Amino acid sequence: MQTLISSGADIVFNSLVLGGVFLIVAIGLNIIYGLSRVMNLAHGSLYALGAYFGFTIVGSGLNFFIALLIAPIVVGVFGLLLERVLIAPMRERPMIYTLILTYGLMFFLDGLIKYLWGNETRFIELPAFLNQTLTVGSISYPSYRLATLFGVAGIMGGLSLLLGKTKIGTTMRAASNIPEMVSVLGVNMKLVHMGGFVLGCVLAGLAGVLAGPLFTVYPIMGHEMLISSFVVIVIGGLGSLRGAVLAAFLIGAVQTLAEFFITDFAMVVVYMMMAVILVFMPRGLLGEGKFE
Amino acid sequence: MKRLFVVALCLLAATLLWTPRFADAEEPIKIGVIVPLSGIAAQGGVELRDGIEMAAKEKKTVLGRPIELIVEDTRVKPDVAVSKAEKLVYKDGCVALIGVFSSGVGLAIAKNIDKLNVPFLTTHVMTTEFYGLHPLVFRSGQLANDQTAVGNVKGILATPDLKNRKYYVLVHDYAWGHDGGERFVALAKENGIEVVNPDFDKAPIKTTDWSTYISKIKASGADGVYIVLITTVIPVFTKQADEFGLFENMRLVSAAAPGVTELEAGGKACYGIFGASCYSWDIDTPAANEWEKKYWEMYKAIPSDAAAHSYVGAMNLFNGIEKAGSTDPMKIADALRGISFDGPYGTVRISAKDNCMRNEAVLTETMAAPENPYGAKVYMKVLRTFTPEELGPPE
Amino acid sequence: MIVVALFALPYFVPNRFYLRLVNEMLIYGLLAMSLDVLLGYTGLLSFMHTSYLGIAAYIVGLFLKFVCPSSLWLAFLVGLVGTGVIALVVGWVQVRTGGLAFALLTLAFGMMYFTVVWKWYGVTGGDDGLMGVPHPDITLGPWTLANSGDSNGIYYLSLLIVMLCFVVTRRIIRSPFGAVLESIRENEERASFVGINVRFYKLLGWMLACLLAGVAGVLFILFRGYIGPTTMDAFAGAGVLMMVLLGGMGTLWGPLVGAGLFIYIQDYISTMTEHWELFLGLVVILLVLFMPRGVAGLSDLLRRGGKE
Repeated sequence: MQTLISSGADIVFNSLVLGGVFLIVAIGLNIIYGLSRVMNLAHGSLYALGAYFGFTIVGSGLNFFIALLIAPIVVGVFGLLLERVLIAPMRERPMIYTLILTYGLMFFLDGLIKYLWGNETRFIELPAFLNQTLTVGSISYPSYRLATLFGVAGIMGGLSLLLGKTKIGTTMRAASNIPEMVSVLGVNMKLVHMGGFVLGCVLAGLAGVLAGPLFTVYPIMGHEMLISSFVVIVIGGLGSLRGAVLAAFLIGAVQTLAEFFITDFAMVVVYMMMAVILVFMPRGLLGEGKFE
Repeated sequence: MKRLFVVALCLLAATLLWTPRFADAEEPIKIGVIVPLSGIAAQGGVELRDGIEMAAKEKKTVLGRPIELIVEDTRVKPDVAVSKAEKLVYKDGCVALIGVFSSGVGLAIAKNIDKLNVPFLTTHVMTTEFYGLHPLVFRSGQLANDQTAVGNVKGILATPDLKNRKYYVLVHDYAWGHDGGERFVALAKENGIEVVNPDFDKAPIKTTDWSTYISKIKASGADGVYIVLITTVIPVFTKQADEFGLFENMRLVSAAAPGVTELEAGGKACYGIFGASCYSWDIDTPAANEWEKKYWEMYKAIPSDAAAHSYVGAMNLFNGIEKAGSTDPMKIADALRGISFDGPYGTVRISAKDNCMRNEAVLTETMAAPENPYGAKVYMKVLRTFTPEELGPPE
Repeated sequence: MIVVALFALPYFVPNRFYLRLVNEMLIYGLLAMSLDVLLGYTGLLSFMHTSYLGIAAYIVGLFLKFVCPSSLWLAFLVGLVGTGVIALVVGWVQVRTGGLAFALLTLAFGMMYFTVVWKWYGVTGGDDGLMGVPHPDITLGPWTLANSGDSNGIYYLSLLIVMLCFVVTRRIIRSPFGAVLESIRENEERASFVGINVRFYKLLGWMLACLLAGVAGVLFILFRGYIGPTTMDAFAGAGVLMMVLLGGMGTLWGPLVGAGLFIYIQDYISTMTEHWELFLGLVVILLVLFMPRGVAGLSDLLRRGGKE
């Protein structure tokens, strides 16, 4: 009985943590898609970049929380550069070109990471109070993972405040739904595109720093995350933030459960869900998504 | 259209210009070094390469010709490795291939060796399939899966704290992991060691999030874990397991030695890993100490077992070519059978029976390191030594 | 002219390594060309077209290994039929959508194939891949021409088959059928208004592309004797896409050149430096920014320049 409770708790928390990381990455991807109108294939690499910056910051002796603050900002600035130099000029051309551009960017960033930081797996050191194991009865769980859950909740809370209560947020939501109207109303669309892209990058970087201590920091960490985040946003509905919440935790749970019960082809179930949604419910589970 | 044809034809012409010169007597002897320099085993690949380079620098010439090492990155992918092997042999004219970290890669190359027609000596592949696989395929390096299983089982039986535990077996999901798991399960059964999952749990090579596997281990009712995981990944798994409080009542036995650089990053969480392997810098013989000193001077890195056995393997290969007196593959192969080299962990002899090595080995446990010139905080303490006969396989 | 050069290649360049490199270029060239049929002519993007090369290679590999190691053409047939059936079923589902949805569907199915191949250790060898596939003789009626394991043999087989596919595909593209495909590419809605059964033609275009990829897959396994899951993962898939872009889509011959260039660059750069991904990414970015029509675009430019 004890092991049952313990395993059950493990599964629940593992799903939540995995889903939480997926969520932050997927929301970033959705924001970039909704506001900047770009399917950002380099998103996984930006996530990895965030983790690596986090590693360097913590490695140079600074506090983990400082890394949590600074690394996403660095990734955001980087994203700003990318948007101005590469993405914006491509906006008139057919979407496939931007797709391939972000694909090349992904390769480039991956190579950059290997060049700057080498091939080995890196660890992000956590402050002592986060590095403990919390034991309640028969359940032992790393305290950092629980802290991550709080972190994710905080980020989501912050985002919904931003989007729901502030003028900038309302503009962003409107621009995502009816861009033509918003531009007619005199809002500078260039700023909207730029802002959306940067915000998405910041979120990717933030997810990277959070995930670093969880999954370790290694050069191809972006690849799997990219595919998973694509699955999440498709199932949740492209551009739908609420859909992303639902889908992220759904996929997190499915993946965790599948791994636990030794279903080798578990991920096939996930991909099949993605295919079914694309064919029969392209607007996602909540019906809020949009395809250009 | 015509212009493009011209362009393409020029490309073709450029390739033609790349034909290699004919080899002459002063030409260096080229040895192809095949290691993973990117991907999950990258650090191991670097150590393999460094050990081989160290041997080459020491030996300097073979058959009167300077040794030239050409290094290629396999990215731990068998198909990439095979094309790199082809490049090394056909384009660069290498007379032998050495290295290889992963059993999957090793088998892929070994199965193509007829076409390549050069001797291939692995310094790390552990799969038992290499025994007598092909007259041109050799092993002089890391203990093979059966030898490790024997060493580990003997160690477990001799240690009261380990003997009566129930073991959960977790392996990496590819040739080496499967082979290592099977060997241990079979030997454990013969010796009365209880295994809770004889079908053993398999994790993909690229797993970095071990939380689910750790939960499964907790749920299985085992109080010991036997892992057949790649050296560079062992400390990652151990660290995460420690965070989940797994080691409060579990002990860890490993088929492969944990990577020394990763151990440093893992720190205290990685204490208490038990296992049999060829080498640890704790070995206190004049030969070992001298080798470690030279290694430290050259690379300023903690002497690892990957470096040690690739050094020995390279020496065996170089000496074999010397003994053969020519670069003819079959002659080198004949010379390698029965050859031996005295190095940092004793005498390593390639058996004429199955082309694989026999040597001493040590049983180690990871713990806090004593004062040492490498700045290492974690090390593998030697608990006992095994003789080659103890480990087998019989000849 | 080029054709003659390619035929004569084994005699000028006795070094097996270069022969095999060109052989690889031919096989991937065929794959890239097949993607061009899908993308450049039918207007459908596939993120993981290499899946169909992989599927054919695995089917043929398993067939040769476990069923019948000696019959080349039977293996070819089995590979194509198997790939065709899978492509038909999946394609039928996929053509109900278009554009980005279609592309993401190819990603979903591609990842499905990849996961099956990667995890089914008992059959496909999982991460280790399928090794030691036998090389049957290349026979024409009662004569044995060569063995497919022999570098020269497989080279000529690849050359002949790729050339055949090119000629046949070009014929098909230039026919009214090809015109229908191009009209769908230009504007699906308008095409359907004109009375074209868009779904049916998309499926046909898809089948052609997948079958050609399957041919490339059969050649691949004969050439390598080995197939692993990495050949059909997301990165391989994008690699082919880049070959098409590099060569210029919508030209059929462009992707052949693009594949050659891509493989050459990858081989050359990876021997120069470990950081080849950096350069590859840079090349792709520059390409998209400045040369979106690829080598074909360049040749157009040259031609126009020449005329003036």
